[in-house]
Amino acid sequence: MEEKEHIPQETDVSSDDTLKALEECGKQRDEYLDGWKRAKADLINYKKDEMSRMEHAVKFGNEAILYDMLAVLDSFDIGIATLEKNSDAHKGMTLIRMQCEDIMRRYGLMPIDAPPGTIFDPRRHEAIEEVSSDLPPGAITEEVKRGYELHGKVLRPSKVKIAKQS
Amino acid sequence: MAKKIIGIDLGTTNSAVAVMDKGELKILESHEGNRTTPSIAAYSKSGERLVGMSAKRQAVVNPKNTIFSVKRLIGRKFSDDEVKRDKDALPYEIRESSKGGVEVKMGDKWYTPEEVSAMILQKLKADAEARIGEKITDAVITVPAYFDDSQRQATKTAGEIAGLTVRRIINEPTAAALAYGLNSKKSEQVVVYDFGGGTFDVSVLEVDFDALGGDVKVLATGGDTHLGGDDFDARIIEHLVSEYKKQEGIDISKDPLALQRLKEAAERAKHELSTSMETEVNLPYITSDANGPKHFLLKLTRAKFEDLVRDLIDRSVALVQEAVTAPAPKGAGLAIADVDEIVLVGGQTRMPAIQEAVKKLFGKEPNKTINPDEVVALGAAAQGEIIAAKDDGRKTEGEVKDILLLDVTPLTLSLETLGGVATPMIQKNTTVPTSKTQVFSTAADNQTSVEIHIGQGERPMMADNKTLGRFILDGIPPSPRGIPQVEVTFDIDANGILNVSAKDKASGKSQSIHIEASTSLNKEEVERLKQEAAQHAAEDEKKRTLIEERNKAESVVYVAEKSIKENAEKIPAEVKTDIEEKIKKVHEVKEKDDVQAISAATQDLSAAMQKIGESLYNKDANKETGNEEKKEEGNTTNDTGTNNN
Repeated sequence: MEEKEHIPQETDVSSDDTLKALEECGKQRDEYLDGWKRAKADLINYKKDEMSRMEHAVKFGNEAILYDMLAVLDSFDIGIATLEKNSDAHKGMTLIRMQCEDIMRRYGLMPIDAPPGTIFDPRRHEAIEEVSSDLPPGAITEEVKRGYELHGKVLRPSKVKIAKQS
Repeated sequence: MAKKIIGIDLGTTNSAVAVMDKGELKILESHEGNRTTPSIAAYSKSGERLVGMSAKRQAVVNPKNTIFSVKRLIGRKFSDDEVKRDKDALPYEIRESSKGGVEVKMGDKWYTPEEVSAMILQKLKADAEARIGEKITDAVITVPAYFDDSQRQATKTAGEIAGLTVRRIINEPTAAALAYGLNSKKSEQVVVYDFGGGTFDVSVLEVDFDALGGDVKVLATGGDTHLGGDDFDARIIEHLVSEYKKQEGIDISKDPLALQRLKEAAERAKHELSTSMETEVNLPYITSDANGPKHFLLKLTRAKFEDLVRDLIDRSVALVQEAVTAPAPKGAGLAIADVDEIVLVGGQTRMPAIQEAVKKLFGKEPNKTINPDEVVALGAAAQGEIIAAKDDGRKTEGEVKDILLLDVTPLTLSLETLGGVATPMIQKNTTVPTSKTQVFSTAADNQTSVEIHIGQGERPMMADNKTLGRFILDGIPPSPRGIPQVEVTFDIDANGILNVSAKDKASGKSQSIHIEASTSLNKEEVERLKQEAAQHAAEDEKKRTLIEERNKAESVVYVAEKSIKENAEKIPAEVKTDIEEKIKKVHEVKEKDDVQAISAATQDLSAAMQKIGESLYNKDANKETGNEEKKEEGNTTNDTGTNNN
């Protein structure tokens, strides 16, 4: 009888320990599982972020050099303006300028439209002066320096003169 | 998800926003894709409210309704001397508000500086929300250390009008120190040297370090509100104009278009001289006279530029000295030697001469690794993260990352391939657990077994590295070299136990080995192996090249012999003899150590082999069948063949 009484007591104690250990294990499992899921999610998110960073880097990797090259296009514009129209030199310079711009276009550079009469848009144009004009107030009267965009980002706004309020 | 608190550097000219993201502080770009936003608001002629870059682009033609530098007015009384002075310099209308404060006019309405700042903050908030894809409610905003209570309160109000809960207003120099983590090291005195575009500020801080993260006290401030990077540009322009006058006798400062181009070029030259010793200012067709167009070409050296601005740098250094050493309240009353850390802020501090001058004054290297235009916003974001972590009862993100420590392999784990080369499988410093699988092949015809020899170390030859284990995979069906595909996998678990397995893809036979403690080399051993690798780098490289050349030679000989055998009847005798001689030559030089001789002999042989192709094609053409092409086999160089057992 004594032995019989002992047995349940012993099983009680060990089952208590087992339960405790099991509970501990369960807790640890949840913790680890959570950590693992987080690590996996972190990686997936990191990959996504990395992908968009890569896309951005590919799109805008040439931004600095394209921006610096704009000075060369400007010099061409000024140079061409000093030459006699339809002269050989004028044609030649115009072609070289075009060649330069074509190469830059291949890397995503796009000129910003700013013909006279267009309504001034500060998101893409920069006003440098107000002048009297027959055009409606706020309209662009002259493009002084061409502006450029790279994949939708304004690399340099068009420098323009706009019509004064009469 | 944890709430994010952004940090805002609300500057006089430009503002920037940063946030803690995945344990890293980063700048949030504006909607237009720029890292800073002009602190400008405007009411355009078409009746639109503009903020930032677009407001700046119409400022020239709409000066009365374009509000900039509003930071100079915020929290001030209309009667303040500063307001009186600025009032004359600012093109927009300013009047006294009913409470004695300041109001500015934009469009038909009068606004307080708080409202204008709020417009800027609202844009910064909206752009930041678009970047991180979640709503932002809380922010930390920075102000100059010399701002008084009323200016701080007004800045806070601006934030609230913009829909932000301003969790804290902190000093710009404090933010800069926070970005460098100077609050988490020890108690120390920090000098923040802030050379911006238009102003120069110096602050002396005392960091009281405690377990809670440290308290930063401003001991003294100083500076000059009319000394900035723009003065440096002006000096360059002056110099260029006067040099041109000397050269060409033309004063281009009178030509607005030329001057504009010169300004842009001067700024570019200044930036370039931070990294190079000399730059060229090249402006074709700058102007013209009776003789035709004139060009501008001038060299500017770093030394000349430093000469031009020496007095400006000296002045800034004198101001620093005063702020540190002068007795309170003018200065902090410290000795120069008491200063423990120096932090550089503002774009102008990229200039090497400034960094040198600061270093010379304090006798120590200043903190300059963080972009000086962004350091204040980043520091504000660091403060934001500290508050957010406290709110959520968690550790700050930078710390959270460190709880689960992942080991790295201290040395490269490699596999021996043809010629005793150690082919890296897992590079050193790779975080474990990790695994890598690569397919190798045999180095000889009918090779039926390969030895997998695993080593650890940085040397290119296996014999110089430490052997971790080796085993043999046999039962590979006999086939020509390069054909069998043996897939070898290196797998390291989180405990650093390396498991290497090799499997022949054709027969499916596999073998593997467990290597305990592949990462548990002691520190000295790791150091020794690394040092050895560095010492022997050149000699090892030579050895490796030699073996690579030998392998290449062997490969070419193999193909040559095979081609001759297979096309014995079709190849003219003289071509055959020529090739055989060249093969002999390759064999002769191959075992010697002359890389160039081996390479030359191999190239000769390759060239001679082309004649095989030529003669085969000619024959085919002569026959006029022309439809059967003989495909060359084994023309790839398989230099990853596993070690011949």
